[in-house]
Amino acid sequence: MSAQGFSFGTRYSVTLSVLIFLGAAFLLPWVGAGPISLVRVLRHESPDYDILLQLRISRTLLALVAGGALSLAGTLLQAMLRDALATPYTLGISAGASLGAVAVIAAGWEAFLGVPMIWIGALAGAFGVLILVIGGSFRRRQISAFSLLLTGIAINSVCAAFIIILSSFAGMSRSFSIARWLIGSIDATSYRSLGALTAVVLITSTLILFQARSWNLLAVGERWAASRGVHVGRLLTQGYVLGSILVAGAIALTGPIGFVGLIVPHLVRSRISPDHRILMPCAFFLGGSLLAFCDALGRIVMPPAELPAGAVLALIGGPYLVWVIRQRIPVEEI
Amino acid sequence: MSRLLEVEGVSFSYVGRSVLNSVTFSAGEGEFLALLGINGSGKSTLLDIISGFRNPETGSVSVTGRNQRHWKLREIARQVSHLPQSIHADLPFTAEQLVAMGRYPHTDRWFESEEDHKFVRQAMERTSCWVQRHRAFASLSGGERQRVLLAACLAQDASTLLLDEPSTFLDIEQQLHCFSVLREEARTGKLCIAATHDLNLALTYCTRLIVLADGVIAHDIHTAQAHDNEDWLALFSTRLSMGATPAGTPWVWYQ
Repeated sequence: MSAQGFSFGTRYSVTLSVLIFLGAAFLLPWVGAGPISLVRVLRHESPDYDILLQLRISRTLLALVAGGALSLAGTLLQAMLRDALATPYTLGISAGASLGAVAVIAAGWEAFLGVPMIWIGALAGAFGVLILVIGGSFRRRQISAFSLLLTGIAINSVCAAFIIILSSFAGMSRSFSIARWLIGSIDATSYRSLGALTAVVLITSTLILFQARSWNLLAVGERWAASRGVHVGRLLTQGYVLGSILVAGAIALTGPIGFVGLIVPHLVRSRISPDHRILMPCAFFLGGSLLAFCDALGRIVMPPAELPAGAVLALIGGPYLVWVIRQRIPVEEI
Repeated sequence: MSRLLEVEGVSFSYVGRSVLNSVTFSAGEGEFLALLGINGSGKSTLLDIISGFRNPETGSVSVTGRNQRHWKLREIARQVSHLPQSIHADLPFTAEQLVAMGRYPHTDRWFESEEDHKFVRQAMERTSCWVQRHRAFASLSGGERQRVLLAACLAQDASTLLLDEPSTFLDIEQQLHCFSVLREEARTGKLCIAATHDLNLALTYCTRLIVLADGVIAHDIHTAQAHDNEDWLALFSTRLSMGATPAGTPWVWYQ
């Protein structure tokens, strides 16, 4: 489809998504249990200035970047597996990262050279699973979405079993920490960590977006893509590695937040366009905005307590998933 | 007539079961080949190998005189387009978006050019699906989908068209229209190879019949000579016999 072939709404949807993303970045830091005075912030007066700069802004930016990464990863996985209900977690990356993080919490390790061990554990777990899934999926020197899916599901189950075993032996307080981490939440983070995550997400997302036309073809079928010049095995491997980097980077800082990678791509695909040249950037910007919004909602709904963003998203996403399943047309073959 | 395709000693097996065994044939501009054979005879596998989707265990495929292994996939896609037997259609692409995917090997642009768009429109008009261009592919009937997929093949503008059961789901009028379009493509100098179970469509529109049986080419005959030896018919069923239409075209009767 030529650019001229897109409707007015579709053509401006990316711009609108960017505006929503920027709006969330500027407005949501002001939302929280206690009001922040703009005048005091401008005068650099405590505590308003410190709360906004050290807590709210970093937290909002983390939600925007992590939400965008998870939403984009969901879009990517849905194209690769040709299933609108696939999530960034379908292929076991989240389970691997969770196992690594849970092992660190259960062992009581705090930090290594100033870097929280929980991040290192999550990244190590995610990349361990990445190597296992890709290695286990190759058959006759070829890789297919089906073999990726089956290997991912199998490794997902093994990781889930180990998480339960570790939780059982971790003791009461560490078990609570594990449960809290597993639901996913956005907490204030250092700007250094945020910068590192942003750089990783920016590079990875750009590489994914450059292949948007190829994802379109792969979303239709492997044979369809191959006969139009796509190297399917190479593209699937690239997609899995890039998607894993996005997911691992995001959940190392936030925990495995679910649903953002399901809800946003589905909404954009059905309401704006299934074309990945439009779908992917919109999913990134709107996914980040949704997670930041859920985090802000979690801050104000039951003050002074805070609901984790993962819990708020699950409360919205669970009913939405049921609705999606009820509306869904079964996979059709012709 | 210059040779567009040479298949030389191609063999392939699935999990130890031999599907193709040293298949050899060549074809050139202006030919419309019917690839015939009972279910499981290897027609789709052969088309997959020619399109570059599968690699043969032994043997080679040459496209316009150059070994397929020396082509990049995208270069092959500019020469060979493939209409697969089935595709998943769960994602809500519109008919026009699917047809436009046929232009993928021709451009690196982010969006298709005006020229690409012209190819898309021409292809959709030729297969009578332009009016459905804004409809989601998943919402189309089986016949409408098949026409959209054929348009995607035409929009690819390749010199060789591989079609795996192109008349599936089409009503009689559309089947005739589909094979007419393919015959016209062949007459403009392209090579069309259609795997089909409809012997009479093959006899009416194709210039040559290749019959696969037990992984080998059992018969390779020109349509005009289909009368001369009816042994090939026995590979499908013993209840078939050869006759002719009032116009003299060979015709298969079912008893």
